[in-house]
Amino acid sequence: MGDSQYSFSLTTFSPSGKLVQIEHALTAVGSGQTSLGIKAANGVVIATEKKLPSILVDETSVRDISSLFFHKSQPFSCLLFRCHFLILFFFLNYLWQVQKIQILTPNIGVVYSGMGPDFRVLVRKSRKQAEQYHRLYKEPIPVTQLVRETAAVMQEFTQSGGVRPFGVSLLVAGYDDKGPQLYQVDPSGSYFSWKASAMGKNVSNAKTFLEKRYTDDMELDDAVHTAILTLKEGFEGQISGKNIEIGIIGADKKFRVLTSAEIDDYLAEVE
Amino acid sequence: MSRGSGGGYDRHITIFSPEGRLFQVEYAFKAVKAAAITSIGVRGKDSVCVVTQKKVPDKLLDQTSVTHLFPITKYLGLLATGMKADARTLVQQARNEAAEFRFRYGYEMPVDVLAKWIADKSQVYTQHAYMRPLGVVAMVLGIDEENGPQLYKCDPAGHFYGHKATSAGLKEQEAINFLEKKMKNDPALSYEETVQTAISALQSVLQEDFKATEIEVGVVRADNRVFRVLSTEEIDEHLTAISERD
Repeated sequence: MGDSQYSFSLTTFSPSGKLVQIEHALTAVGSGQTSLGIKAANGVVIATEKKLPSILVDETSVRDISSLFFHKSQPFSCLLFRCHFLILFFFLNYLWQVQKIQILTPNIGVVYSGMGPDFRVLVRKSRKQAEQYHRLYKEPIPVTQLVRETAAVMQEFTQSGGVRPFGVSLLVAGYDDKGPQLYQVDPSGSYFSWKASAMGKNVSNAKTFLEKRYTDDMELDDAVHTAILTLKEGFEGQISGKNIEIGIIGADKKFRVLTSAEIDDYLAEVE
Repeated sequence: MSRGSGGGYDRHITIFSPEGRLFQVEYAFKAVKAAAITSIGVRGKDSVCVVTQKKVPDKLLDQTSVTHLFPITKYLGLLATGMKADARTLVQQARNEAAEFRFRYGYEMPVDVLAKWIADKSQVYTQHAYMRPLGVVAMVLGIDEENGPQLYKCDPAGHFYGHKATSAGLKEQEAINFLEKKMKNDPALSYEETVQTAISALQSVLQEDFKATEIEVGVVRADNRVFRVLSTEEIDEHLTAISERD
């Protein structure tokens, strides 16, 4: 990584010992659209605002495609899993609908706050790393490993020559043998496991709201309701299935993005 | 007290400013506007049309060589608004990529795949210091086998979206306001309506009536999926139809 003409890092220490480029990257994240994640007892939910810049933008280009796969997918133990996984990887990288919540592996999903183009780069690298792990160990990558490798990439870009840090924070939601997990990764490359977290514009209100509402024995459905209520707190305008995205993963270990009809159903329940 | 804005370099290369912005990317957007051209793209029910101004600054110039519309493959077109030299680089690379795709995978590169490729390349320029972002907004159009007519817009920041109608260049915001009103109820525009909406949007936003030699029009149609630049006679027909309609 890094460019020969710029064999010096652009992210350097200030006299007070801070890495200001990373702080500026965090500011960029803080002006992005709000997203949040909640870990329930039997699953994880991640959600984000999806405000399109104009009504002229084609919503179907921002549509979820994960539903195309999972009715055909096989259990992990099946021999065909590998074929499906490779097809998934190839297909997902070429048939990208402009969607904010993305699948990294069949049991790990991710959402971001910050700069969309930077997010695309990280998703592509993460998917490749997951696939390389699978090729080597013949088992799906554990959530912690994938988070660690993604965070390592983000750290590289804070130290290599001629590049700037990524302007995104990620919320990675997964379900593997260790149960449901939620990680937040920052532009610096540091990551933590969270019970519930938020990022983006409305982060302080959202986190206060989550702190009040979070319980350790929450079920996945309750978590979805809480997520919607949290988004609603800081939402400008009318919230609907068309301007938010929600992704869930339950004990079936299959990550999926909810359709806007399903989101509307949850919204009706919340009213 | 850290002064650390990178020592003022945040304006020269794409590193973050204290507010978390990328000045070089923002300046690239300004460069697109500085070209003083406005372009419009409209997607109809079974066709896509893009229109742009054709400003020939010198009478001695060969008019036919001045163009912003480039075929990338037979079926994909690209309208580049902004710095012409950057546009040429982009078009060259896009043509190469589309040809390799066809060779590697055995079928024609779809519109959204090309748009994503352009956007990803633009993102690299916003993150690596060795190359500046290109001062070009690219509108890619084509007919997709599964999804029908498609119009995508890619900008120097690396964003790309599919659009029902969009605009780029000097009068971008006015044009988008005009188009939002027109496309509010999701009208299913026929081929003639698509072209005329695009041309009349450009006329109303720039507040002048065009002659056929002053604009360029590119179309793809579901019944003839080849990307085509309209001839002066065809443009004239549409202009006459518009003025008769009004």
